[in-house]
Amino acid sequence: MDETSAPDLAKLRRILVGEERARLDQLEAKVEDNRLSAERLAARLPEAIVLRAAQDRQLARALAPTVEGAISESVRRKPGEFADAIFPVLGPAIRKAIAETMAELVGSINRAMQHSFSARGLSWRFESWRTGVPYAAVVIKHALVYRVEQVFLVHRETGLLLAQAHPPNLAVPDADLVSGMLTAIRDFVGDSFSAEKEVGGLRTFSVGELTVMVEQGPKALLAAVVRGQAPESYLRRLQETIEGVHGQFPSALAEFEGDTTPFEAAQPLLEDCLVTVLDTDQPVGAKVNWTPWVVGLGLVALVIAAWWTWSVLEFNRAVRALRATPGIVVVEASRGWRTHEVRGLSDPSGATPATVLRAAGVEPARVTQQWEPYVSLTPSLVVARAARVLGPTSVGKPALVLRGETLMVRGPADAPWLARVARRTGWPAGVAGVDLREATPVLPAALVRAGDSLVAGQVLFAPGSAALDDAAAAAVRTAARHARAIAAGLADDGVTVGLTLTGRTDATGTDSTNQSLSRERAERVRRALEGALRGGGAAPVLTTRGVGTREPLSESDSTARARINRSVSFGIRLSIDATPGARPR
Amino acid sequence: MIQKKVCMVGVFGTGKTSLVQQFVHTKFTDKYHSTVGVKIDRKVVNVAGTDVTLVLWDLAGRDSSEDIGASYLKGAHGIIYVGDGTRRDTVVQLDDLLRVATAAAGAVPSVTALNKIDLTDQWALSVEDYQALVKRGGLFRTSAKTGEGVEAMFLQLATWLVAPKAGA
Ligand SMILES: Nc1nc2c(ncn2[C@@H]2O[C@H](COP(=O)(O)OP(=O)(O)OP(=O)(O)O)[C@@H](O)[C@H]2O)c(=O)[nH]1
Ligand SMILES: [Mg+2]
Repeated sequence: MDETSAPDLAKLRRILVGEERARLDQLEAKVEDNRLSAERLAARLPEAIVLRAAQDRQLARALAPTVEGAISESVRRKPGEFADAIFPVLGPAIRKAIAETMAELVGSINRAMQHSFSARGLSWRFESWRTGVPYAAVVIKHALVYRVEQVFLVHRETGLLLAQAHPPNLAVPDADLVSGMLTAIRDFVGDSFSAEKEVGGLRTFSVGELTVMVEQGPKALLAAVVRGQAPESYLRRLQETIEGVHGQFPSALAEFEGDTTPFEAAQPLLEDCLVTVLDTDQPVGAKVNWTPWVVGLGLVALVIAAWWTWSVLEFNRAVRALRATPGIVVVEASRGWRTHEVRGLSDPSGATPATVLRAAGVEPARVTQQWEPYVSLTPSLVVARAARVLGPTSVGKPALVLRGETLMVRGPADAPWLARVARRTGWPAGVAGVDLREATPVLPAALVRAGDSLVAGQVLFAPGSAALDDAAAAAVRTAARHARAIAAGLADDGVTVGLTLTGRTDATGTDSTNQSLSRERAERVRRALEGALRGGGAAPVLTTRGVGTREPLSESDSTARARINRSVSFGIRLSIDATPGARPR
Repeated sequence: MIQKKVCMVGVFGTGKTSLVQQFVHTKFTDKYHSTVGVKIDRKVVNVAGTDVTLVLWDLAGRDSSEDIGASYLKGAHGIIYVGDGTRRDTVVQLDDLLRVATAAAGAVPSVTALNKIDLTDQWALSVEDYQALVKRGGLFRTSAKTGEGVEAMFLQLATWLVAPKAGA
């Protein structure tokens, strides 16, 4: 029975539950199929959406009501979170649209610098020059429209300071307190005056000259402390910045628990809000035509500048002249606006400063001067001092030259003067002694006539003779008189007077006879002269020489030439006694 | 830099301003200038090697009729409740204040100052009152006048603010 019963049983079962069984299998397969297709769908869904979206808008249309519903439900349930999410995206988009339709005119400090050649610019430059305040500071003082002095980034809920920016040297010491106060004020105003706390809130308030502009984001607010009058457009900049902060630090803001380190990176964003705007672009008092004023002021300024420059140059030139003058040492020279001032040392033996100034074209009275006397060792001044000490010569103008500390006297000078120089013991500063070897003593003025007469008066002889005739004897006596006068005139001055008697002959005869004849003639005159001078006090020293025809006196006429050469003529030699106080014999 | 917002809460005249003055400036005055609105001060304390700036919001005390400024409490990281041991009602009202403040700021770390302990002769609390206070936890007996307990209280709160779990 076991072998046959199994197929039969299956047959029986098919008869009994066959139909149900088939349907069961069908259902089973269907269930399996459904699950598979959901899995497949999940895998394919994104692809499918992309494909369908590319085909037509059917999918979007189908989904729209559901998505809209979801969003509105989400907004209804958690409005804050939704607003937070779209805030960084939406803000810029809205504002961009507004910005494109609005033209802005905002001056910058750079433009102020460019436009500085205006009447105001000039007056500010003048003020800056007068007060020593930097030009930029003067401009800000007068032309400031507004300047943002502080920017705070404040965590909205706690009022804690997240970041802060300020221009250099405008730091606020208690920024974190200010930040707290700010929030407190905002809360207070919100509590007291506004029913809708979350909307807008306090946007600007004033404290003295300062205005605080507040721009809020969902998590943080930005407060700018402004001096002056900031335009509405500045609020827009704050808006952009606070949006930027939210966009850049979403998680740091959401999870803020008091640690401000992440917000150090927000510093540059805040610094962008520090602006200074000046009104130098728009003219004040709009209807005034500045051009003639500018031109006029410019001309006046030009003239003043030219005059000033010229007077400065002139003064500089005068100071240079002073410096170049021996015996003047300029210690300090300063130019004032109208008067000049010079101080220094001046050697009285040199040129006076006033003379030098006048020569340089500067009226000395216009220069405040202060000169201390001093002794200069400049050679020219040493010489000048020596010359003053030595006094004038009566005849001749010897050159005085300093060689080392020795004063050289060169050229003709009257003998008594030279004798005094030779005897001198005290010398002015810079001179140790004197050298007279290059000096030529000449007769002093009082004796010049006598000397001239003596030299001009010749003793004439007959041809071939050395005998003194009457005329010759008279000439000797005349010569003696002059010689005595000269010797007497110089007797007390330490000058030795010498007379040289030079004998000559005419051109006839041999040289040797002429030579001895000329010496004979000189000797004859000497003896006669000695006789004439004897017993008459001071007498010159006589020397003789016979030159024959070697040093003829010239005369165009041959007869006259012969006559004047048959003669003895007188020459005067003066010499200074070497020993101080020495006297001629 | 870590900053924490801490609010001083209590009935008027309990010594909130005096406690802050004592803690921040080590000063005390007998004169009473009732606070209007809020007064903000700050002090840097060191908790286990890190500097923490406590930004102290000293709120105007409430009198029985009006409530404390809830908006000032928003975002507070910690709260200091102040009662005056010489005025029993100021201590009794602490429970009410705790409720209001928690609603505004959430369950943040807090301490309670039982202030003016130097005025023992005017003490107005019963043993039961005191034990009820102790049950709140974080109770400090302070005197803004002598400085007793003041620093310890602020430092304890600062510690809990930096590591909240320890004191919550
Ligand atoms: N003896 C003593 N006096 C205190 C103490 N604390 C405060 N006071 C005095 O109590 C008065 C009130 O103190 P405040 O600190 O102004 O009180 P407050 O809580 O700030 O008051 P409101 O600002 O009005 O809410 C002042 O006269 C203080 O001198 C204390 O610990 N001991
Ligand atoms: Mg107070």
